[in-house]
Order: sequence, then C-alpha cells, then structure tokens
Amino acid sequence: MRPGLRRFLTTAVAGCGAAGSAALLLALAGREGDRPGAASGARTGQAGSGAVFAAPAREALERGLAGLGPPSFAAPPGGAPSAAHRMSIAQRPPPEWHEFYFTRAAYSSFRGYGRRGSWATDYPKADRQFLTVLRRLTNLDAFAHENAVLLTDERLRRYPFLYALEVGYMALSPPEIEGLRTYLRAGGFLVIDDFWGTREWLQFEYQMRQVFPLLPIVDLDLDHPVFSTFYDIDEILQVPAYGRYWGGRTSERDGYVPYVRGIQDEEGRLMVIINWNTDLGDAWEWAEQPDYPLQYSTFAYQMGVNMIVYAMSH
Amino acid sequence: MNGLFEFLFKYRPVLFEEGEVAFLSPWPVGVVVLAASLAAAVALFTYGRAHARTGPARRSGLAVLRAAALLLVALAVMQPALVLSTVVPQRNFVAVLVDDSRSMNIEDADGESRAEKARRLLDPQGPLATGLADRFAVRWFRFSGVAQRAPGGVEGLAFDGSRTRIGAALEHAAQQMQGVPLSGLVVVSDGGDNGGSPMGEALLPLRAASVPVFALGLGDERVDADVQIGRADVPERAMAGSSLLVNVQLSAPGYGGRTVSVVAEDMGRIVASEEVTLPGGGRPVVVPIAMKLETPGARELAFRVPSLPGERVLENNELRAMVQVRERTEKILYFEGEPRHEVAFMLRAVRHDEQLQVVLLQRTAENKFFRRNLDDALELLGGFPTEREELYQYRALILGSVEAGFFNHDQLEMIADFVSVRGGMLLMLGGRRSLAEGGYDGTPLEDVLPVALDAPGGASPTERLVFVKVAPTPAGTRHPATRIEDGAEASAARWDSLPPVSTTNLLTRLKPGATQLLRGSVVDGPGDPADRIVMAYQRYGKGRSAVLGVQDTWLWQMDHSVSLEDQSHETFWSQLLRWLVSETPGQVEASPRSGSVEPGEAATIEAVVADEGFGPVNGATVTARVTSPTGEVRDWPMEWQVDEDGKYAATFVPEAAGVYEVAVEAARDSVFLGTGLTSLRVAPGTAEFRDPRQRTTLMERLAEETGGRYYSKDTAEQLPGDLAVVGGGVTVREERDLWDMPALFLFLAGLLAAEWALRRKWGWA
Repeated sequence: MRPGLRRFLTTAVAGCGAAGSAALLLALAGREGDRPGAASGARTGQAGSGAVFAAPAREALERGLAGLGPPSFAAPPGGAPSAAHRMSIAQRPPPEWHEFYFTRAAYSSFRGYGRRGSWATDYPKADRQFLTVLRRLTNLDAFAHENAVLLTDERLRRYPFLYALEVGYMALSPPEIEGLRTYLRAGGFLVIDDFWGTREWLQFEYQMRQVFPLLPIVDLDLDHPVFSTFYDIDEILQVPAYGRYWGGRTSERDGYVPYVRGIQDEEGRLMVIINWNTDLGDAWEWAEQPDYPLQYSTFAYQMGVNMIVYAMSH
Repeated sequence: MNGLFEFLFKYRPVLFEEGEVAFLSPWPVGVVVLAASLAAAVALFTYGRAHARTGPARRSGLAVLRAAALLLVALAVMQPALVLSTVVPQRNFVAVLVDDSRSMNIEDADGESRAEKARRLLDPQGPLATGLADRFAVRWFRFSGVAQRAPGGVEGLAFDGSRTRIGAALEHAAQQMQGVPLSGLVVVSDGGDNGGSPMGEALLPLRAASVPVFALGLGDERVDADVQIGRADVPERAMAGSSLLVNVQLSAPGYGGRTVSVVAEDMGRIVASEEVTLPGGGRPVVVPIAMKLETPGARELAFRVPSLPGERVLENNELRAMVQVRERTEKILYFEGEPRHEVAFMLRAVRHDEQLQVVLLQRTAENKFFRRNLDDALELLGGFPTEREELYQYRALILGSVEAGFFNHDQLEMIADFVSVRGGMLLMLGGRRSLAEGGYDGTPLEDVLPVALDAPGGASPTERLVFVKVAPTPAGTRHPATRIEDGAEASAARWDSLPPVSTTNLLTRLKPGATQLLRGSVVDGPGDPADRIVMAYQRYGKGRSAVLGVQDTWLWQMDHSVSLEDQSHETFWSQLLRWLVSETPGQVEASPRSGSVEPGEAATIEAVVADEGFGPVNGATVTARVTSPTGEVRDWPMEWQVDEDGKYAATFVPEAAGVYEVAVEAARDSVFLGTGLTSLRVAPGTAEFRDPRQRTTLMERLAEETGGRYYSKDTAEQLPGDLAVVGGGVTVREERDLWDMPALFLFLAGLLAAEWALRRKWGWA
C-alpha cells in the first residue's frame, strides 16, 4: 500500500458516509497496483497502435457496473438508491432534480483499476469533493453526488457536461464511438483529464480520430474565454498527482509540459477540452491533504469551475 | 304603404311631417263648434225620447254615431288645410352629386350596373331630372377621391375613380354653393365610402346650415355570389428571414362549403399558400398565412383567391399591402440568475442569426456576473441596468431563473416601464427562481405577466417538478413564434415528436386578454392539474410580455430521441427571439397615414420621435427623405403635430405610381435621435370593391342626420317633390286643402252607414 493510502481511505469513508462505504472501499482498495505506470494491467494490444482492446475492456467495465448497480457506481449518503438509477429522467422525474450533474464517462479501456476500467480513477471522491467546492463557489444548482454514465447509455445526452480521465488507456468500442460522437455533435461538452506523455497522447488521439476523423486538435491559448469565464487564469500549471510531488517534480513519464487543448466543430464550437500532462482530478481528490500543495488544488478547482461555467454559457 | 296613405290623406307623409294643419273657414271656429254641438244635442235628445221602442244602450249607440257624423261634417265645413313652406320655383339651387367611382360599374342582380341605373334615373328627360329642373336650378357634381363640377350632368361621367369620399364631396359641394339659396344636396351613390375620414365631421357644417342631404342609394343591398378578401393584417415591419403570420379575412356568400386556395406573393413571387373551406351564409373566415420574407426593404405583398363560377365582382379577390422588411441587428438582453444549460443551447441555436444580438448577463455567483456578446467592455459592467436609458437600448428582455429579490423596487418598476412605456418585450423563463417561485407575486411585474402567479405547490423544486409534453394551442399552431415547421399540420406533428421537458412552475391560469400558444400535458410527476400553460403572451401598455414556463428546452436538442438533423430547437428559439423584437419600436418610427394612395392624391407621412428614455420629443428637427419609384430623392420637413406629443407629419403629392421609400431622420440639439423607415404604395386602389353591397346604412344616416330623406331607385321620382317642401332656400307659404281628402268622406260615410244598418236591424227603419 502506497504511503498515505490508509489516510485516504479513512477520509473517503468519512466523506461519503456510512452507506455504500463497503462498495466504495472495495472499489478504492483496488486502486493499488492498478495505477498507471505502477502496476501491470490486462493489456492485450499495443498502445498507440490503434489495436482493438475492446472485448476484455468491456468485460471489465460491465463487471464493474454489474457489481455496483447500473449505471452508478456508488450510493449517495443515507442509503438511498444509486444515483444513476435515480437519474433516469427520460421516463420519470428524478426524485432529486438539479440543473447540473457532474457526469463521468464510463468508457472501455484496456487497463484500469480492479474490476473497473481506467474511467473510475479517483472515483468517486474526486467528483464529490469537486462538487462540494463547486456548489460553494458558484450558485450553480448541482447534484451533490457522482454520476457515471456509459457512453452507450441513451441517457448520456441528458447530461450536457461530461468528464473523462485516464484516457491514455481508452479503448472505445464502435457503439461507444458512435455514442460519444452523437453526444458531442448534439451539443455535449467533454472535459478530458489526467493522462500523461507521448504514448498516452497517441492512444487518446487515436481514439478521438475514431470519433472525429477530420477535426483537428488545437491548443487553447490563455486568451481563450475558458480561462476567464469565472476565474481569470493567466498560467497553465502542471497539476501533479498525489504522491508524485517530490522535490518540486510534477510530471510523469515524458509529460513535462502541461497543455490545454481542444476540439472544435466546423463552426468553431468547442466540444472537447483536453487537459494533457496534468491531473486536475487528483488535485480535487486530495485537496484536503496538508502535504498536497495548495497552489495546484486551487488551480484545479479554478479550471474545473471555469470549464463548467464555460460549457453552460457557450 | 305610402301609396295607401297618399290615397286616404291626399298627400304623402313627408308633407304632413313638414307642414302644419290650419282651418281656412271664414266662420269663427266657436260658431261652427256651437252649431255642431247643437245639432249633436238634438240628435241625442231625439234618440233619448225614443225609449219606448228600445233600450237605453242601443239608443246611446245610435246617438253617438249620429253626433260623430255631425261633428265630422262640422270639421269639413271648417276647411282644414295643410300649410307648407315650399320653395319658389327656379329661385333655389340644388346640388346633385353623382358617385363617379369604379364601384358604380358593379353589375347588380338585375343585370344593370349602378352606373347604368344612375344614367337612366338622371336622364335629362327623365322624371327625376325634369322634376328637379322644374323646381330648382340644378348644379351637377361628380365625386370619387375628390369632387368637382360636372356641367354635363351624368352624361359626362366615366365612373373610373378608385376611391369614394362622400364626406369630402359634400363639403366641397356645400362650399361651392355658398352664397346662393341652397335647398339641399342630392347624393347618388352606392355608399361605398372608403376615404377613411369620419363622416360626422363632414355633416356638421351641413346640419349647422340646415342643408338637407337627399340620398339616392344604388346597388343591391346584398350580394349573392362573391368571394372577397376583406382585409389582411400585415404588420408595418418585419425582420428579414423571420416567420411572419398574416391573418387574411375572407368572405364568400354563395360559395359555402367550397375549398379555395389563398395565395400570398412577395413582389410577384409566391411565398405561401393556404387552403380554406369557405363557411356558409357568407360568414367571414380568418385564414392565417405564414410566410418568410427574405429580401429586406419595402416589399409589396399581394393576397389572392381565385375567381369562382358566377362571381360578378373579381376586383376584390386580391388585396395588396406594404411591409417594411428590415435587416439590422436587434439587441436582446438575457439576464440569467444562475448557470443553466438553457443559456448555452439557446445562444447556440441563434449563433448564425446576424439579426439577433443576445447580450448575456449571467449571475454565476453572488454578485459575480459573466457577460457575453457585448458591444464594448463597459456594457453591463455594473450588472443589471439601474437606469432606464441603459435598459431601453435593448428591444427585448429575457429573465431567466432569477428571483425578484435580486432587483430593487426601482428596477422592477423600470422593467415594467420597459414594457408599458418603451414598448419592449419581456420574456420570463421558467425556473426554480422565476415566476411565483421567484417571488414575483406582489411586485410591479405581476401585472405585466400574462399568467396568474399561483403559490408554489411544493417545498422544493424537485417536489414541484413535472415533465410535460408540449403541444401548440390553436393559436400557437400558426403563430410565428411557435410554428416550427411549414404548414399547421406539419408543425403540430413536429411538436408531437419532441420529448417532454420539465417545469417547476405551476402555471394554470391565463389572465384575461392573454393568448396561450403552448400547453403542456403532464406525463410524469405530481400531475395535478394535468394541463399546464407552457407559453403565453399578452399586450401590456405599448409593449408585450410572455412567459415560457419550462426550464430545459435544450432537451429538444439533447434527448436521445432527437436526431442530429432535427432543427426544432434551433427553429423554435430563432423564431421566438425574432418574434420578441418584431414589434418593438425604435426612437424614431415612421408610417404612412394611409398605406396606399392614388397618383396625384396627397399622402401624409407620420413619425413618432422619442428620446433615449422613450419620452416624446417635441422640439426635434425631423425630415422625411422620400425616394420615388424613379429614384428621385426629395427631403420633406416634418412638422410637430400639436395634438400629440412627439408626433410629426409631412404631406406631399406623389405623382407617379409605384413604391415610395421613406426614411425619417430626427435630431434634437444636434444630437441624432434615430432613423425610421417606411414605405408608401401609390396605385389605383381596389377598396371600391372591398364590399360590393350598397351601404344603405350610411346613405340613410346621411339623410337622417341632415334632415333629408333616403330614396331607392324605385322611389327616386318622389325626390323632387319632397325636396320642394323639405329643402331650405327661398320659400313661399302654400295652403293645400284637406277637407276633400278621401279619408274624411270615407269615415263620414262609414258612420252614417253604420247608423242606418243598426236602425234597420233593430226595426227602426
């Protein structure tokens, strides 16, 4: 077990409440050894080559869903039914309606954590902690709990904001590719986070080429509105993962320089924001830790708020 | 009836109305009455003594009959007479005004046109003309748009005028006849006045001068077979590319049950067509025609229905009107109280519309605002406007999920004034902080909104949340804001295909005068009541207000059931936002007093000028720049109209037919206030045929209000005689005997015959 993991588990349990804690602990315990670069996964193809990893990856994903109830993966405090189940608003109004749901894309990958895929990294603590801060900083009516949805779920389009991370291990199936393409074309907004270095970039880029073969990925300069929608951000920081910040080093693998990139449609609408060589999710997740530098968690929260407000106003 | 009266009483009723009854006997009235009384007393006494032969009742009856007969004889002996003031022959004048307009060419059911009737009735050798000529010095006038002398009488008339102004013609004739003894005016017309000026004003001087008008009405009082477009509600202004709804009123007596197609043309190009089944009984039907006008500028629209077999009047099957299609960017302020997906999707829906600038002010945190689509960095820097001049620069205001408590009282009043004074449009969206849930009941905005603000039904938005299936009301099916597909049926089908959306606002009661465009049927949630108001609007002061009570129309874009190609969401918002600003006035608004005039007829352009706070400006320099169809440009200074603040007018006479484009510019103290565009159509009108029936009511009113009489073609011959006793001028006292009127003798004979018959029956004779 990594240093601090016991403390992390304690915090997570306290933060999430008693209900569902067993499942959460089980899920989070599986993180150890599955962390990218820290342990081996069930890799059956070659990274960046565009090989199909779908079958085992989907199995892992479906196992994860089956174990925790479709399509949510953790129960909110109080022992209520799973969040995803409560959010099936297509057929009936949700028991708790909110304007915004921090929705995490549950995608297929060729390696991940335990019985789930790479999509579940930092899940759900990062989501919850970020939502706690988001609700305090803004007057956004946000659902306080995590909300994970399959890319093939027809409910996906009901959540115009989508968050995905660890996309260096992404291995989308054709239905997922179609689901994501349709989602973004219809008006959805995707935030990518937490993938590092050239190899993971190539894998992600290959996946996005399946979704949008012709749309370029472009750098977003600091004068882009996303950097000033709520907070004025004048520098793109590299946000290190918790436990990776030693002696001022923030990078992983060959991802030394952080980038914020984007994919726009033919008319210039920003559909995807890509945070590469940085880990905003970890900063959200570990913001309460005294040994995690405040400047990074501050930046991560600012970027998170800006991206959401931008998505809801552009 | 009049004939029977004339047989019994020797003269027509009009003479009794105008004259006085007098007794011409040289004997004093008292003597005659005394003699008659004595004779009656003798009769009563004689019958009274005959008691041995019959009872008192019979004797009394016979005595009364005898006494009445004796009194009647006494009445005749007194020589009753009708004393009249009749005009002195050839000492008085009569003006005969003949309608020279095109409507006189309409053929009546008897196969004779009104013009032919006029020629026949007014033939110089005919009884009417000779009757007049024998008594009066006749002066002939003809009139249509203007009145003028017609020395040749009816023979010189062409019946080609395209407008009928009866009031102006009467005024003109009365002025021409000033200084001569005028007995009256004779108007020969079908009564189809379309001058647009009130008739009462023209009649006032005639009444004051005691000049009676004798109206000779021509034409059928009802038309059995005719299809006509009565009117078309074409707005003065429209936005290029916007959906435009024009209500066309159609009536078709004699063709009930038939289906016809109403076609709309924009400068000769067909832009819309709508089929309608004609109602029976000649009842009018309103046909809403939706169209898009793409080309900016002054556009002439034509609405047309085909002629039907047996139709006599074809000119009223078409109606033309002008509309000013503008292509400029209209600013809308959208104030949203919290981050909402609705913002992004709505802005995206209209992102390509260069005529809409939706300025977004979004409260993202307490006292923190995000602004978008600004003119400059200073716009809305202080948040929501606090000064009227700042708010009034926008043509429409959208309030999202923002509670009333955010605004101070002055701001709420300012928003209400934005609608009622500035003439702007307010749209309030549904949301957890809007409408009743936002505490707007009891505020100045409660009156502005078109729906009643019922108390929230649940403790939290979630408890109040319902999903509703949205459908257009009959009014919304064709309304430019809610018609999301060409054709009413196609639009309704498109609405039916859209997924349900949610609302937390309980909207069930429409205010009087408001119009509901969209309704919602609860498909999920606490569905009591099951029917909700989704969208409604009303006029309020100079402006309008609307409510769209749902909060996630973006689902019409994002729900999985909606295909990527579906443009319903974009179409809805584009049309809705364009409709919001479609009628909002600018600081300078111009319009012609009459949308269409004839060549050579005076045309008046009016303008309303306001300052930045939309208060009327009286001391401005206002100029109308008129561009004629030939391209000639001329400036006309506009004068302030004393009767109304901020109103200016200029009159000019267009000589050439065609479309005149007018740009009105206003400035005050060297400060430019704005430009108002309008247009004027100069062409022979078809208003003459708009209602081809004889307007009997108008003709009768002309006569009644001036002391004259109304005549039909069948009674026209009586006109000269009546005019001789009713009309003014140089008159002479004339006594006409009444003692020899048949009624008197018939009555006397009747009394005596009754007495004789009773005596025979009872054995006295």
